[in-house]
Amino acid sequence: MEEERYQSIIEEIWFKLKKKHLYPEIPMPKVRGVPAPEREEGEGAEGVGLEMKQKQMTINGAFISQMKDKMPEKRVIEALLDHGITHYTFCPWDFHTHLRLYAEAKKVVGDKDLAKQVSSYFIDVIADTHCVKKRFTEIPELHRNLKKGTVQEVIASLYQRIWGIDLGIQPSKMSGKGQADIVRRLARIPYLDRSRWGESIQKFARSLKPLLVEEQKQQGDQGGKGGQNPQGEHDLNHYSNEEIDQGLRDYARQTMALSEFKDVVEDFSDELQGAGYGMEGGMGRGQGNPIDADILFYMKLAENYSIPIKKVPLEEKGSLHPHSHSPWEIGSPVQDVDIWTSFGKIMPGITQIWTKREGKGRGKKEGTPDCLIAIDSSGSMINPRKSLSYAVLGAACATNAYLQNESKVAVYNFSDAPMGGKDILNYTERREDIYRVLCKYFGGGTALDLEDLMPLIQGKKNLDFFIITDMKITNLEALIGFFGQIQNRVTAVHIGDNPYAARFEKAVEKRKNISIYTVKRKEDIPHIVLGRIRDYFNPTHLKNS
Amino acid sequence: MKSSPPSKKNSILPSLKENWITKNPFEEFKTFALSTPVLPLDQIVQSTEAIMDRIRWGYEKLLEEEAKELVWMVQYNTIIKAYEVAEKYVKEIDYTAEDIEDFCFALENTQRIPYLIPGPAGIYISALCNYVKEEEIVLKLSELKTEINLIGFRLPKGKRLMIEGDTGDFTGIGLEGGELVVEGNTKNWTGAGMRGGKILIKKNIGLHTGEWMMGGEIYVGGRVRGLGNIVEGKVYERDKLVYPGKVRYPNLYY
Repeated sequence: MEEERYQSIIEEIWFKLKKKHLYPEIPMPKVRGVPAPEREEGEGAEGVGLEMKQKQMTINGAFISQMKDKMPEKRVIEALLDHGITHYTFCPWDFHTHLRLYAEAKKVVGDKDLAKQVSSYFIDVIADTHCVKKRFTEIPELHRNLKKGTVQEVIASLYQRIWGIDLGIQPSKMSGKGQADIVRRLARIPYLDRSRWGESIQKFARSLKPLLVEEQKQQGDQGGKGGQNPQGEHDLNHYSNEEIDQGLRDYARQTMALSEFKDVVEDFSDELQGAGYGMEGGMGRGQGNPIDADILFYMKLAENYSIPIKKVPLEEKGSLHPHSHSPWEIGSPVQDVDIWTSFGKIMPGITQIWTKREGKGRGKKEGTPDCLIAIDSSGSMINPRKSLSYAVLGAACATNAYLQNESKVAVYNFSDAPMGGKDILNYTERREDIYRVLCKYFGGGTALDLEDLMPLIQGKKNLDFFIITDMKITNLEALIGFFGQIQNRVTAVHIGDNPYAARFEKAVEKRKNISIYTVKRKEDIPHIVLGRIRDYFNPTHLKNS
Repeated sequence: MKSSPPSKKNSILPSLKENWITKNPFEEFKTFALSTPVLPLDQIVQSTEAIMDRIRWGYEKLLEEEAKELVWMVQYNTIIKAYEVAEKYVKEIDYTAEDIEDFCFALENTQRIPYLIPGPAGIYISALCNYVKEEEIVLKLSELKTEINLIGFRLPKGKRLMIEGDTGDFTGIGLEGGELVVEGNTKNWTGAGMRGGKILIKKNIGLHTGEWMMGGEIYVGGRVRGLGNIVEGKVYERDKLVYPGKVRYPNLYY
């Protein structure tokens, strides 16, 4: 009954709320019932008032019931929804901002849980302050009536100071352990200036840290978990899988720092796994596997770049089609008889059959062949698990391009291949497996073993070859000779300029099936065109050479 | 052939060019004002920004006037001269200890301040600390990437400056009776020329500690890497008196 009543209140105020917040695209909130164990917890346990999963807000009926003595239910619901909507419309806005704020907080507090708490409080302060400034809201009234711990009291005192609204916090309550000092420091932060959120959260964390550390210590001594945020927890449940994908992509692009990305992803690994990230399948999701942050970094970073692939004609011959008539003879196939010109008779001299020919140009299909990626992981290359490797990023972009075109990719990761410094992955569509081999680093000498490549090439009529290296290969001549023999499209990418690369370029300059690119900066990667053949539209060289 | 004049009905523009009036299609919105209440936060942030601008301006003036004197070469005369210039600008500003901390971070992060030179910055911050109203100043500088030199210069009696994080060379030089607490490490020449007061370093301290020190006490929670030529005063290492004492000699590296 209660639930239905709360739901009807929501339905009644929802249009007004949407209008107030300029019509955000959020579905109608729902009401969650009171589970039996919570009912037994008694008066003190109000729990979380609002839950947000993806974009669905759910009001906790038990929370409203417990608050109704202090504040009318309608106003509680309105305040909670104002708060929830502002998270979507102002702060944190998206997953990328959430991650960024968390990373900045962690730089100051150094601890995962504390950083999560700091970012959560910061996001709440911004959302509520924005709401109080820009909209008519019941949020101050809600704060006046909420049960508060030490940190919540400091935050409420901050609100009192920066909103200029009495929330019932007595100055005498703020005397303990420099709490007044903390509030004074917190009140100087420009919460509503989005461009300064990075430095603001650092200052926020610096000021709040002693209090949070003390609270953490007390909770540790009591062996329990901290109290819940009555306005709802800020975890990854807020975001849809697409938003998480986009957020990770943006974060990887913006930081461009493997260690920072790795740090944040590892901190959120439980939540990411809960959201289905296990590095399986096309979107990098799937249950069960631990998250490899390095691979995820290259995966997300590579998604920011799109490399075009020139398609090739995979089928030169079309199907047979009726071309001309010829007299029917005994033994000729009856199904080819043209009954119209044979006047319905089966008689030699009268009956005619269709002569069929292969259709030139018809049925010709363009497609993308499979690709063999050879990646150099010798000592002269950057270790992709230590810092950003353009070689791995380039190969990752190529991988994405082929997989998106429904082709398969094989990887030959080599360092000192004849001595065993190599890893070979056969043709597959599994992105995670491909990335795992791409990210492997040997760090030894550089030599290719062409014998290794043969099984991957043989039997493949159409195959693209992608090699990414700094060209400081001991048996470069053998590689040049190998490229001289094959007719496949070759995309050779060398990292940086050096005499070896120049020698390679000179040696293969007449080969029209080989395209060479230099990558010096990450911005060079999108300029690569996979499988480009210089005179693609006039493929006579295929016959001549 | 005569062409008939275009009918007025079909004409979009007025016939005379002079009569063309450019009308802003959003004219009506000029009078529209979004009624957003001004929160105390807006005023706090605004006044903080105004103070920060004044502090920043003073620092830029100091750099303009004293950069040519190569103040970062650290000669005592140039330090005194630079401090006098800093004093001149600082005295005119009404600020708090939090403004000093904000300025320290602004030195590193804000594009508006062109450069952070640890020497002049330290002198300027010292002047700010010495003239601030509060008697106890806490600067949470743990996340600051640069170790600022000369911090705590001439800290007067009755002032207590607490620094969270590490500081650079010449920390607490010329201390004039104040109390300087550094939660982290300090580098060389700490407490050089101090006349009185107390310096408490929670971690380690560098070489030439207390060079030409005329009075006061230096307490070090960690290791003292080397003592300077101390005239008078006391130096403690982990609660143990190392000067005056027989064990340590000036500039001994250990």
